[in-house]
Amino acid sequence: MSNRDISRRSFLQGGLVAGVSVTLMPLSNPALAALRENSVTVPPEQWLGNNGKARARSDAMSKVCGSKVFARDIRAKDMPGWPEQQGHAMLLKTTKADHLFAGIDLTFLGAELQPDRTVTAEDLSKDGIVFPEDHAPDPLLPVGQVPMFIGHPVAILIWHDFERFRQAKAKLKFNDKAIRYGEKAALYTTDPYGSFRYVRVGGKTSADEDEFASLKDSILFPMLRNRRPVWNSQPDLHGNLTERGLFYAERMKQQIDSPPDNWLVFDERYKTPSIEPAALEPDNGNGWYDPASKTLHFVVATQCPHEAATETAKMIAPSRFSLAQLNVHPGYTVGYGSKDHNIFVYYAALAALYGNGVPVRLANDRYEQFQSGIKRHPFDIHYQLAVDKNDHSFKIFRSEMTVDGGGRANYSSSVAAVGATAAQSIYYMPQNDLQVTAFHSRGVEAGSMRGYGTLQSMAATEMMVDEIAGRLNIDAIKLRQKNAMVSGMKNTQGAVPAGALRLHEILDKAAVHPVWKNRDVIKQEREAADPDNWYGVGFAICQKDFGTGAEAPMASIEFTADGEVSLRHIGIEIGTGMATSQALVVADFLGVPAAHVKTGETEWDELQLTSGGNPYTMSQAEQNEFLRNPRWVGKLASASSATNSAYYFSHATREAARVLFNHGLWPAALQIWRQGPYGGQANPYVVRREDAHWVDGKLTANGMQPLSFETLAKRAHEQGLVTGATVHGFNRWSWAEAEFSIDGVRERLPLDSLAVKYGDGAVSVKKAQMNSAGFHLLDRQNVHYPDVQLNNAAVTYYSPVATLVELKVNKGSAEVQVLNHHSWVECGRVLVEELVRGQLEGGIAMGIGHALLEEMPLYEGGPGEGDWNFNRYRLPLAKHVAVWKQTAEILPPLSASDPSKGIAEVVMIPVVGAIGNAVAHAIGKRVRDLPISPARIKEALNG
Amino acid sequence: MAKHPLQMTINGKPVDAVDIPDDLPMIDYLHEYNNLTGSRLGCGQGICHACVVIVDNPDGTSEEVRTCITGAHYFAGKKIRTIEGHAKRDEQGVVTELNPIQLRFVDEFAFQCSYCAPGFVNAATVLVEKLQRQPVAKSQLEQVIEDSLGHHICRCTGYVRYYSATRNVLSDLGLVKEG
Amino acid sequence: MKHLLTRITLAVGLAAPLLQAQADDQVERGEYLTRAADCMACHTAPGGAPFAGGLAIESPFGIIYGTNITQSKEHGIGLYTDDEFFAALTEGKRRDGANLYPAMPYTSYHLMPREDSDAIHAYLKTVAPIERDAPETSLSFPFNVRLGLTAWNLMYADDLQLKPAEDKSEAWQRGQYMVEVMGHCGECHTPRSATGAMEVDKHLSGGLLNGYLSPSLLADDLANRGWNHQDLSTFLKHGMSSQGTMFNEMYPVFHNSTQFLDDKDLAAMATYLLGDTPPAAKVVETRTLDDLNDSAKRGHQQYLNVCAGCHAPEGEGKPHIAVAMRGNTTVRLDDPRNLLRVIEDGIDEQQFSGFERMQPMPGFADKLDQTQLTDLLNYLRQRWGGQTGELAVSDVQKLQADKSDTHSKAD
Repeated sequence: MSNRDISRRSFLQGGLVAGVSVTLMPLSNPALAALRENSVTVPPEQWLGNNGKARARSDAMSKVCGSKVFARDIRAKDMPGWPEQQGHAMLLKTTKADHLFAGIDLTFLGAELQPDRTVTAEDLSKDGIVFPEDHAPDPLLPVGQVPMFIGHPVAILIWHDFERFRQAKAKLKFNDKAIRYGEKAALYTTDPYGSFRYVRVGGKTSADEDEFASLKDSILFPMLRNRRPVWNSQPDLHGNLTERGLFYAERMKQQIDSPPDNWLVFDERYKTPSIEPAALEPDNGNGWYDPASKTLHFVVATQCPHEAATETAKMIAPSRFSLAQLNVHPGYTVGYGSKDHNIFVYYAALAALYGNGVPVRLANDRYEQFQSGIKRHPFDIHYQLAVDKNDHSFKIFRSEMTVDGGGRANYSSSVAAVGATAAQSIYYMPQNDLQVTAFHSRGVEAGSMRGYGTLQSMAATEMMVDEIAGRLNIDAIKLRQKNAMVSGMKNTQGAVPAGALRLHEILDKAAVHPVWKNRDVIKQEREAADPDNWYGVGFAICQKDFGTGAEAPMASIEFTADGEVSLRHIGIEIGTGMATSQALVVADFLGVPAAHVKTGETEWDELQLTSGGNPYTMSQAEQNEFLRNPRWVGKLASASSATNSAYYFSHATREAARVLFNHGLWPAALQIWRQGPYGGQANPYVVRREDAHWVDGKLTANGMQPLSFETLAKRAHEQGLVTGATVHGFNRWSWAEAEFSIDGVRERLPLDSLAVKYGDGAVSVKKAQMNSAGFHLLDRQNVHYPDVQLNNAAVTYYSPVATLVELKVNKGSAEVQVLNHHSWVECGRVLVEELVRGQLEGGIAMGIGHALLEEMPLYEGGPGEGDWNFNRYRLPLAKHVAVWKQTAEILPPLSASDPSKGIAEVVMIPVVGAIGNAVAHAIGKRVRDLPISPARIKEALNG
Repeated sequence: MAKHPLQMTINGKPVDAVDIPDDLPMIDYLHEYNNLTGSRLGCGQGICHACVVIVDNPDGTSEEVRTCITGAHYFAGKKIRTIEGHAKRDEQGVVTELNPIQLRFVDEFAFQCSYCAPGFVNAATVLVEKLQRQPVAKSQLEQVIEDSLGHHICRCTGYVRYYSATRNVLSDLGLVKEG
Repeated sequence: MKHLLTRITLAVGLAAPLLQAQADDQVERGEYLTRAADCMACHTAPGGAPFAGGLAIESPFGIIYGTNITQSKEHGIGLYTDDEFFAALTEGKRRDGANLYPAMPYTSYHLMPREDSDAIHAYLKTVAPIERDAPETSLSFPFNVRLGLTAWNLMYADDLQLKPAEDKSEAWQRGQYMVEVMGHCGECHTPRSATGAMEVDKHLSGGLLNGYLSPSLLADDLANRGWNHQDLSTFLKHGMSSQGTMFNEMYPVFHNSTQFLDDKDLAAMATYLLGDTPPAAKVVETRTLDDLNDSAKRGHQQYLNVCAGCHAPEGEGKPHIAVAMRGNTTVRLDDPRNLLRVIEDGIDEQQFSGFERMQPMPGFADKLDQTQLTDLLNYLRQRWGGQTGELAVSDVQKLQADKSDTHSKAD
């Protein structure tokens, strides 16, 4: 149920949304870039080495020269066709959540600094703005209401020049003089954002049939009463699904409450902080609404450009503003999830709309970003784990978690679900009852920040397992080895994770690492030599799911007769090197990487896709009905996260490239090799496609003459073979499949839509078929979609990472200093090793921040009041991360055919648990609330 | 707010402006008055160092200055370099040569989102120039890098590649002596 | 006999928990008094284990190192009896009979009652031993001769006597003990003679320490700089108030001592300092730009250039980032020394109570020349400091030259 995108109900259909023609052209798009300045990506000869491996990121040159690559960098004068004048806007916010809002009063600004336009809730309502449902209600708080949260916006203030904006904003900062408060009022309340219960009682072994499981039976949903979840069904082994589930849940509780003598029942609570993603580029947008052409031009920082474009069009279309055309230009950006599904986009669009013909820029400063930027959810976790004291096997795992979602729903519901389903970390749990509820609060909105709930639950599990090992007086890695899942075992939902699980391989390596083996001796020696500090070693491991259960990547690859390869992709570059790695994926099949990469592509007319229904909640019957339409897909386009870029995005790129190889290059090669009498050079040998290899940029197979890509491209075009392919895939923990007849050859592919292009020399009949935006759109047959029941699997794709940490704790200040760390990563086939290592290093730093440094109050005194910055909120610096010493090992893939698995989220998790465990090793006490600040360490030592 | 003329040299070009408010922060002067947006606003409070520019002092030394907490008029008559000024470009504006730090950062995948990269490039460039006047002993190398880059915040990379790339540049340029 | 034995056993049996409770009370009280006497500040090195010594204390006669006062028998005070501890605390006598350097404020502690000393010792006995010696102190004559200290002690050790307190409130009397004896505030806030002794007749009227002025704590002087009872207590508790933050040598005092004191004691200290009937805190109005002299007007641009980014253009400061200049106690000091020093040296990042973490202030010694510094000082002092006089460049030069780290007053 990781329905990150549960409510996207309409899609770009032929570029028309709610009657508005929508185009989406990233700033990095060559066509747009050429109009602005030199291109953001550069030709491959500048970033590719001779060996075909990436020598640098494809966007590196622009980035290192400070070019305008971020939406934040753009001003009106940079945009072709825009007026030069640049207006600026800011959001005015109320900071007292316990008082009615009685209106605004800007007189203290003086006549000179009054905004040129002030937009309030009244204006939105009067003008017929239909704010996106997911981010409603009350984008601007109406007069007379109590705020939903601290920092609830009440008005958009717009100035048509910079200088007056700057001076007015300075006066409005750090105070709420402009807000008139009414009476004190009860805090805003609303129902929980989501509540789930995952009950599983396995059979005798994992392989035996489950007695009850979410996948096989159902996830349990409570009733809501007085804003709380309640379970008012009677447990009944022979009742309906919920009653049966509750029967098993109740039985587990009884067993835990009165355990047999040979069980140890661990029972503790963990708390995690609200975390500011601190993407260095704060949220921003810059738009120009041109009433004459009824066009909104909109530059925006977002991780989900399709959604942003669609929802913006739908928001404005019914209003009094005439909107015929929406041109959205996403920049390169960074968000760690905080720019996904972000309400800010729509405030920025509104600011532009009310600009009275002047382009308006709404750009948070850091204080504002703290105040309203999407946060990582704080979790309050209660774990119970029963362990057999004799054989050390885990028996029953129970959890009750509450998740603080802040003032707006955002993705809290699915974050809670994903957090609960990840709680098992790497261990097989014969029985589990995992309850989780996400609540509204007056804190800042929390969303899909990196980790997506799993960081919170898995780091706690890793600390729990370590503490249990201590109570059992056994080696903590041995306990892990005893209970870690092996390939084919079921997860807590009853689903079997994809592929081989290589957890034991990592555990075996860690167990013999000298720092782990000798940790107690090292501790003694270090403490004798350095009496000012305690020394500790800690280990943790976890595996992180990736994907959302409704992934829909799209890619298109074409090559010219001259051998120029271009790639179009829906993915957007968010700093993870997606453009670079996707360009390289192409080389697996074509021997050369794509020379031109267009990311954030939205024009896919050739596929003529249509969608509808909610992929997470539709019934099997609904899905079957939808599938009668061969153009229907379960979802149009994925959002962009780093993990997606590796696995899901690669899937589309790879499948498109495979089509080109099988139906373009390979037939071309065979033709060349078979030239001459009696089948030419190929005749004496058996030539098989599976033996094809690219060697030094040339294709050979079974001893045939190596042929360059250029040669093959030329031949493929001459012969009218397949020279272009656009693909769409759909994944619900398994890929949709269909049969396609490609250039006369029937094939079953993990795709649900495919269109191809034929070479320049194609016969006229074939050319005539290319009538779908220049492509021949193929009709799928015998389509198979993953069953909707798989929605209950929640996760099946995992990448494991483990980290071993050495640290010291100062006896005076109680500050923790990470001295060194070593990690093990398994991510299948590595596309670009430097990018993987970079992700790991960055993730570990973020994990160190989460574990040791980053914290702020949730409500009063917290970021919602608009006066937080990096002085109070401590981000990890180089001195915190063992910058010179840290090491890592990437496990080699099982074979070159391993998929490339996403790691961007998992890399930051084990270090958190490892630090918790190392601190316990150092000071002899457990700190279960994060971050492990000096205050908490002192409390643990004195308590 | 009163306004005054302001003259300085940015990336080798004299820039003259009239009517610059006395309290205008330098970062706004670069962004809104000169359309130079490469010096990035991260915290706006002098903490993250994403906004630093290089000031070239008359005595030949160079230093980094945070533009978000320094007024534009502080730079009156000064010579400054911003991230946009390091690379050499041809007439079409295409980059033909990077400075050694930029080149190494690119080669070693030092940055990810790159928002902080201008700050790191400038800090490391200042360090190169400092060591060109006075090379550093090998035993002090890591400390010198920590002192120069240590205040710069990066949220993506974990700093590893910035630091190792800087160390490699300094060695390659012969700025590290035995000892 | 048997009967008696039983009764004794019974008594012991009853008394043991009682004695234990008393001992716990004593340790708890001792911990509090250790905070109040701020033992940690000098007996803990930066980054070091508490009370393990090693802090380098600059004195006019050389560097004195704080000693290890953990329970280490070899390096610390593990062998001290309560008597020996009391002698060390109040007379500066080491266990072996040698004299302690008067950086140890026995000149103030000599008024401490025995039970407080015992309590402190009881607490220190619970501190884990750290087996490490503090660095050896070596001073210039006569302080390099520990014997020479005997003569010094004869002359000065008992100079400080408490003012009569009969007609004062209970809070005042408590405050007097906390300020004069435990807090030994006078050790820094009193001028010292060439021999390094406190000038008793100028008690609490301000001293010099490592180039900074430890400002006068006399009631009228405090009120003149804007202090009232409430703000002064808050300042001690949180290290910050609307008058500014603790910096320089007071920052560790806040960290190790005043933040741990209970509100009643802090209020008592404020009562003692400001008196049972405090003088009214003086309010200083912001002066308009036009009202400033030429140097100050020029200083306005310096302020906008390098200060306003944090202290805000109108001097109102930024919450949790940087203090306000309006009403700032250092800006209001007649003596411009500290203002100049802070501008030249800057202030490191400062962590106060809870989530208060003030941003580091850079030093401007090499950014502003003497004229610019003078202009800036004049601007700050005239605009927000209630000063009407003008400093000349030569005044600033003189102050810069006098980086005297002497304890003696520069007069």
